Amino acid sequence: MTTALVPPHEAWVVFAAYNEARVIADVVADVRHAGHPAVVVDDGSTDGTGAAAREAGATVLEHPINLGQGAALQTALEYAVSAGAEFIVTFDADGQHRARDIPRLMEALLRGGADFALGSRFLGDTLNMPSARRRLLQAATWFTRATTGLRITDSHNGLRAMTRRGALAIRLKQNRMAHASEILHQIAASGLKYVEAPVTIEYSTYSLAKGQQLGDSLSIVLDLFARRLHR
Amino acid sequence: MIAQLILTGLLLAALFYAWIEYPRSPAVGLLTVLAAWAGLFFVWFPEQATRIAAWVGIGRGVDLVIYVWIGISLIVLLNLHLKIRAQMELITVLARKIAIAGAREGQGPPFAVAPTLTPGDDSEKPRSVP
Repeated sequence: MTTALVPPHEAWVVFAAYNEARVIADVVADVRHAGHPAVVVDDGSTDGTGAAAREAGATVLEHPINLGQGAALQTALEYAVSAGAEFIVTFDADGQHRARDIPRLMEALLRGGADFALGSRFLGDTLNMPSARRRLLQAATWFTRATTGLRITDSHNGLRAMTRRGALAIRLKQNRMAHASEILHQIAASGLKYVEAPVTIEYSTYSLAKGQQLGDSLSIVLDLFARRLHR
Repeated sequence: MIAQLILTGLLLAALFYAWIEYPRSPAVGLLTVLAAWAGLFFVWFPEQATRIAAWVGIGRGVDLVIYVWIGISLIVLLNLHLKIRAQMELITVLARKIAIAGAREGQGPPFAVAPTLTPGDDSEKPRSVP
């Protein structure tokens, strides 16, 4: 069953991109083709990512220096909210997400009366996912469930939809990879309703090379701990 | 006696540092206070320091004082790290304002006119409008 919910142009899709010139144009074009406004925060890239994204039709914001994915995502959220977006979808710039999953997220968001719809590859599907990555993500999900109380199945999925109210409740301070955990902590702290929706993640050699490694997990834990030590 | 006075001065400075830092970083403030008071105790009651040192397996009381001082130094290093993080947060806010102020719209065609979002249906391709 398919049901009309909201026009695509009301769901803004935002990207944090750092040196993604090889793929960003195709990713933006896919999203634009589906009718969504696209906002790319070029996080200090040196390979022409911003220009490629702009040529593909995205509104581009440029960080003067590289700050990290979390910082770029917060910039994108603040811009989208200030520009009047009612719904915001966060989308990875490395090509592992699919624009056709956005309607599923929006349906879950609106039908569930929620402020956040979190994509889950473990409810949906994965293509070419290495087993080591699966185990790492499952461990991260277990840790996140234990520390936030959120009943989620995929803690590090960058494909999410949120309402304007949800976006206003997010204030990411973790500039780098720990933002994925931080956003879940802030969702839990906000008391706003969240739902999960099945999505497909397609791993490529490119996205695997750009993605998190085992060593990053320790950095994430240290970042989260350090953030608690000061105001 | 001179060494005791110098160490006391340094430990009192550590207490002052803890007092200043407490509002911004309570954990660092409390740890520094605890370490500084322990240091003062060991400096002015060396026989107690020697007794406690022997009990924890260090050997001499003076070594215990040195270890406490190393502990304080590590706490100060941690605090410097946290301060650098705080500076980074300010830089981030500044960079964000610059980025938002300089937002540039895309060069592609205007938004496509697509059918209203329908879950699982990507068969109908949108058409662009002038």
